Amino acid sequence: MIADDPRPSPGGGAPTALDTPRDPVEDHLAALGAALHGPPAAKARLLEELRGGLQDSVAAYVQAGVDRDLAAELAVRDCGAVDDLLPSCQHELTIAQVRQTARATATATPLLFGAWYLLHTTAPSGAWHLTHTAHLLATRLTTFTALAALLAFAVIALTGTLARWIPTPSRLPRTVAWTSTVVTASMAVCTLVLATTMPLTDHWPLTTLATLLTAASHAVTAGPARASRLCARLPVPALRP
Amino acid sequence: MRQNAVRGHLDGLLLAVLETGPLHGYAVITAVQQRSNGMLELRTGTIYPALNRLERLGFLRSTWEADGERRRRRYELTDAGRHTLAAERTAWREFTTAIGSVLNPAARPGLAS
Repeated sequence: MIADDPRPSPGGGAPTALDTPRDPVEDHLAALGAALHGPPAAKARLLEELRGGLQDSVAAYVQAGVDRDLAAELAVRDCGAVDDLLPSCQHELTIAQVRQTARATATATPLLFGAWYLLHTTAPSGAWHLTHTAHLLATRLTTFTALAALLAFAVIALTGTLARWIPTPSRLPRTVAWTSTVVTASMAVCTLVLATTMPLTDHWPLTTLATLLTAASHAVTAGPARASRLCARLPVPALRP
Repeated sequence: MRQNAVRGHLDGLLLAVLETGPLHGYAVITAVQQRSNGMLELRTGTIYPALNRLERLGFLRSTWEADGERRRRRYELTDAGRHTLAAERTAWREFTTAIGSVLNPAARPGLAS
């Protein structure tokens, strides 16, 4: 690697950070990495594959007799400018983010249902009740979350195998981003409602457990929802399958 | 020609070179280059998002494999990928036949006599 072979500084002293030769490959990947947004694992995989391809390209040039520094520059040129690569790379990361957010929503919904199941079924009849307003609000939010879960499953299918036949709607990332945001907010409201009504109930251990479940649902969806909003705001050309 | 030539045909090219066996990304690039006698060049940067997309659609599957200190992701065709490749070939044959009929009308079987 070029960075492993620092040239002596002009003054003859120990090389400083400014004297260290830049590696065009790493610079290119850093620039691309800074411009891309998406699930960390998907982004890391894409960049690792790109790094591998660039290293192979450098090795091929060196094997053909090209100087290593020039080989790195040629490999970066062959890879394409960041602006040229951004649309296709970001597209895949946006889809990956959409799928991750949908999975998070689908995962969190059973937690929320579990919480309400605990409250309404497990508790002995008549031994526990919420205030009327809190009950109404929670029921509405749970219904909305159920619909969001259905959407999540549809999104996973639409961006997976079904995308072979059905074009991915261009507004899907935005739809998923805002749906998941509302779900996250709903779960926060549910948590708040349960926490405030806790002192009014007869069976506080059950209410505490339900509160913890809704808080966990909120925690599962909050991060992906935030990342989805960021990806949905990025200017990406029309979605391919 | 080179890079513009592959626009719209990238999926078919990738599936075709993977038909003979699993390859990693850079090997896919060199395979396309070799098969086209250097006429077609794929950018390193465009190949990986395309491979990821084909994998998401279920046309490819991939695994990481150790290669010395590095690891490479090798892609291979699935059954769905083989079917899609066959469809791409048929579509390409029909397309080139149609274009050929227009460009070389004398070569049309019905007009040969």
